[in-house]
Parts: sequence; structure tokens; C-alpha cells
Amino acid sequence: MNRTPTGPADAAPARRDPVLRLGRAVALPVHPRTLLWCALLLLAVLAVAVATLSLGRLGIAPGRIPAVVAGGGEGTEAFVYERLRGPRLAVALGTGAALGLAGALFQSVTRNPLGSPDVIGLGAGAGAGAACAALLLPGAVPVPLGALAGAVLAMAVVALATGTGLRHPGRLIVAGIGVAAMAQAFTQFVVSVMARDQAGVLSAYINGSLGARDWDHAATIWGAVLLAVPPLLYLAGPVAVNEMGDELSDALGASAARTRTLAIGLSVVLSAAAVAVAGPIAFVALTAPQISRRLTGAAGPHLALSAVTGALLLAAADLAVQQSPVGDGLPVGLFTMALGGAYLGHLLIREWRKGVL
Amino acid sequence: MRTRTTPPRTGPARAVLMLGAGAAALAGAVLLSLVAGGRPTPVPEVWGVLAGTADPYVTTVVESRVPRTVLGVLVGAALALAGTLMQGVTRNPLADPGLLGVNAGAAAAVVTATALFGPTSVAATVWWALPGALLAGLAAYAVGSRGGDAGLVRLVLAGAVVSAVLMAYVQAIALSMPDTFDSYRYWVVGSLAGRGFDVIGSVLPVVGAGLVLALLAMSGLNALALGEEAATATGANTAWTRSAGLVAGVLLAAGATAAAGPIAFVGLAVPHVVRALVGVDFRLQVPFALLVGPVLLLLADVAGRTVVRPTELMVGVVTAFIGAPVLLYAVRKMRTTS
Repeated sequence: MNRTPTGPADAAPARRDPVLRLGRAVALPVHPRTLLWCALLLLAVLAVAVATLSLGRLGIAPGRIPAVVAGGGEGTEAFVYERLRGPRLAVALGTGAALGLAGALFQSVTRNPLGSPDVIGLGAGAGAGAACAALLLPGAVPVPLGALAGAVLAMAVVALATGTGLRHPGRLIVAGIGVAAMAQAFTQFVVSVMARDQAGVLSAYINGSLGARDWDHAATIWGAVLLAVPPLLYLAGPVAVNEMGDELSDALGASAARTRTLAIGLSVVLSAAAVAVAGPIAFVALTAPQISRRLTGAAGPHLALSAVTGALLLAAADLAVQQSPVGDGLPVGLFTMALGGAYLGHLLIREWRKGVL
Repeated sequence: MRTRTTPPRTGPARAVLMLGAGAAALAGAVLLSLVAGGRPTPVPEVWGVLAGTADPYVTTVVESRVPRTVLGVLVGAALALAGTLMQGVTRNPLADPGLLGVNAGAAAAVVTATALFGPTSVAATVWWALPGALLAGLAAYAVGSRGGDAGLVRLVLAGAVVSAVLMAYVQAIALSMPDTFDSYRYWVVGSLAGRGFDVIGSVLPVVGAGLVLALLAMSGLNALALGEEAATATGANTAWTRSAGLVAGVLLAAGATAAAGPIAFVGLAVPHVVRALVGVDFRLQVPFALLVGPVLLLLADVAGRTVVRPTELMVGVVTAFIGAPVLLYAVRKMRTTS
């Protein structure tokens, strides 16, 4: 990674980033390349969204989309938007954003590009919790709460099993593989007890799927993402400082331990919300922050850009699942697992060359 | 890695005693596998069937459990031996044909063959499983050994990546062709159910060849455990031991996967149990793995048939649940390697 040094010592005036000032109190540094990529990716998200709504036999004509979204659709158009593709698209975007944010926070505070919720078994744990809440205790425990409990439990087991907390990257991931295997076995147990022989149900809880979502799911995930915004604004500064190391972070007044606890807590909540509505979709949380980092070349956790990238990745994967001949009817989680797995392999080789692991 | 110059001695009398205990445990597990199930048949009824005096209904029930019990013994032994060999050859306590992607490779090849030629040729799938297992193992090894020597963790990570991609492929094919793969839905997770003697017969040559190679490589593994240089200094042919051990491991894992699906964690857990029982001498580890593996797999299968009666849980699910903690234990004991 060729991260440009941004410490105060070598910030020569010629290459200082522009600063956005509001009166005398607010001065926000602006990284133009980050803004540019944010805008470009948002355009791409828009393009994917239009394609999702308009392609295929039941597609809404692109020119009619604004009217239909505003509530002026009739007959088939309204049905396709309100029941089929609208909620699915909204859930895909919200889940992708939540996963991107969760991954960015987790990777940043563990200072480990592989320390992502889906790699260390958190997603599988949340999936087991969600399956437990939805199938074993229907009505008694809300599904998001079950997912949260599962995610917390999985992370606790991983942290205990490594014996070194969340620090050592190699142990973290191997323990994550074990915990994920146990969580998936538990999910399979729950599904085979309660929903016999329903391959689709099982796959939704193991791999993650966006099929048959409704506006309630969309409200859940977008509510979680919006609720996370104020703490994210508060955490963005400390998390960026934390990347420089614990000692420096403490010296600068951003307590490293506190930052880490808050960031991991928020990351767990966001991944649990994502799993509660869409199942443990693999590797979006891993790849979105990585891609953002490569695009901007800037330091810091890239929260906003990771969210946009995550939304774009998941929406594009879901579009491929819905419209390509090979993806037909498959859960989107299988698609992201295959592509993300290949990316993880590439990432591993790169990290080994650097001697990180 | 800890290097012991002299492995702890397990005296011959004690070894014979423990072998006897292991054989008794295996006999008990086999009996339990015939007794337990959706309709339990108590031991006297099983004796009645063996003596030919039971009524036809009970006879049918018990006889339906014979092939899966035989298969459980075969697959359990094959996976346990494969794990022992791989841990010995790589000197990596985390090595396991499941974790290294070998099982997933075999599964991907079997699924591809079934999608192309239909489900009629179950017996022939083992010949597809072999190259699949070999390629996946090589891929994991190639990724894991890039940029320096293959460390303990790297190999597991590479295997996890290979497994993730291949299992996504397997599930995608199985889900998108539901008619072709109706009988494979359980196999994808790893199951002993619904496989007859024809399947057992077709994988037997492959597993047998693996077993013979393993027995030939057995004593060489002891030298290899001393480390490459020390082993060469003792006059051992390390290259031969290494390749024979790995080929045998791939043969055993491919045969087991073709018969019962990609079952993970048996190959990981059994060697750890065996080392705790008899120490590090491979001449004892191999026979004990052949006893402990079937016991573990049969008990897991019995548990899967009992806990969710009247349906059953695939044996691969149960082994993951009881085997994954062994992985966590191994991680905890691991020295910092980087």
C-alpha cells in the first residue's frame, strides 16, 4: 500500500488537502479524490438501481421509474415496484452499506485487513442467532435481537479461543473458521428441526439471500444504518487517529481501548442488522473497505466510501443473480462467496509478500 | 514447533491393552449404529436378526442400517488416516483434508460430473473425485506456500479460501438443478444415509490403495517429525515419505468424499485425540487413527439420527459441531509463528 504520509511534519503547503470551513468553529479537511470517487460510485449505484428496476420481462421502463417511485404507478408497474423489486433493491443497498461500514470499522481498529466480520465468524454467528430467533422462538425474540446475540457470542468465543484477544491476525482467522463451522452446524440443526427439507430456508440462513424481502426488512436495515450515523460521525476522528497505533492514539487524547470497544460494538450491531434482514452474506464487509482504500489512496477508515462501495457491490451482485442466466434463482450470498473468496485469495498472497501474516 | 528428540514411550503391553480397548469401543459403536435410529431396535432384536429369528419388519429396519454402518467405518477410518498423514507430512497440527480444501475439490468434481452425465453413475463418481481432490489440494498448497515457506496458518487460510469458492460452486449447482441433485442434498453437507454397498464397493479400491501407501510411509513419518535436516541425516528418504503420505492422504480423502460427501473436522480432530492417547509415534498413531476415526464418525451419525427424530441430521453437521472446538483448542495452543 503506498499510503501518502499525512502527518503534520511532512504536510508541505503545496500538497495540503483543501479544508472546508464553516465560520471559525468548523474546519473539515477535504480529500478531493475521495469525494470524486464517492460521486462516481454513487452514480454507479444509481445505474445499478435503474437496471435492477427496469431489466427483464417485468421491468419498469426507465422513463417511468421516477413516477412509479413517487407513487404514480399502476397495475403491473406498481406491483413490481411495491412487492418485487423495490424492497429487494432497498434491502440490498442498505445491507451493502451496513456491511461496508462494519467491515471498515473492524478492519481499521484491528489494523488487520482480514479482521472483517465475515472472515472471523461473526456473520455465521449472527445467522445462527437469527435462525434461532425466527424458527425456534418465533414471536418471542425479534430476529434482529437474535442475530445480535449470535454475533456477540461468536465474537466472544473467537476472542477467548485465540488467547490473544483480537490482535494476532492468523489466530483470529483460524479461530473464526472454527466458530463459523460450529455456527453453521447449529443453524443446520435448527433448520432441520423446525423447517424440514426446505433447502431454500436453509440456504437463506447459511449463505444469505435477498429473495422475497418486503418494506419492513428495508425499514429495519435503513433504520440501523441511519441510527449508526451519529456515532459514526463521532468515531470517525478517533478511529482514524487509532490507525497510527495505540500509544500515539492515547497521547493524542483518543483513548485507544475506548475507541476500539466502541468501534467493534458498532460494527457488531451493523453486521447483526445486515444478517437479520439478508442472512450472512459473505465477503462484502471484507472487500468494500479494501476497494475504497485502493481507490482513494488516503489514510483513515474510509467510512462513507466503504458504505457506498458495499451498497454498490451487493446491489450489483443481486442484479447479476436476478438477470444473468447462471445466477437465476440462486441466493446472492453464493455469488458473493465465490467472487469474494477469489479476492480473499489474492489478498492473502499480497499480505504474505509483505510479511504481515 | 516443539521438537522432541525422543518421543514418549508407550510400552508394548500398554499399546496392546489400548488397542484392545479401541477395538472394543469400535465394536460398541458399530452395535450402537445398528440399534439407534428413527425406530430403535434393542440389542436382543438385533441378535434376533443376526440369528435369523426376528420378524421381517425388524429385519428390514436393521438391515437398512448395515450399509451405512459399514460406510461409517470406512469413511471414518479414511478421513482419520488422511488427517494423520497430512498433519505428519506438513508437520502442521491444523492440517485436515476438509480444512485444506481437498474434500471440497472432490465434491466440486463429483457435482460437475453429476451435472454433466446425470445421477445414474454414482459408482463412477469416485474417479472424478480423485483429480478434483488433487487439484484443490495443490491449489491450496500453491496459494499457501507463495512468498516463502508455508506456515501453519497460511495453509489453513489458503485451504479456507479454496473451500469457500468450491463449496459456493457446489451449492450453486446443486440448488439450480434440484431434480438432478435431489439425492445429493444431504451428500453436499456430508451424510451416510441412502448409500448402498455398490457405493462402498466403488470407493474401496481407492481407499485400499491409500491405506497401503499409508502403511508404507508410516515409519518414515517418524523421521520426518524430527525436521527436514535431521530426517535426511538419519538416512530417511524424506521426499518419498512426503509424497507417499500426501498421495495417500488425497486418495483417502477423495474416496471418503465421493462416498459420503465433504465431511470436515474428522481428519483434524482424530489425530489430536490419538496423540493424547498414544503419543507421537506414527507406528501407533496410524492403527489408532483407524480405530478412533470410525468410532467418532459412527457416534456422530448415531447422534444425528437420535437428536432430531424422526428426521435426521447429516453426519457432517454433527462432526463440524464437535470437531470445530478441536480447531479452537489447537489455535489456543499454537505458538506465535509470525
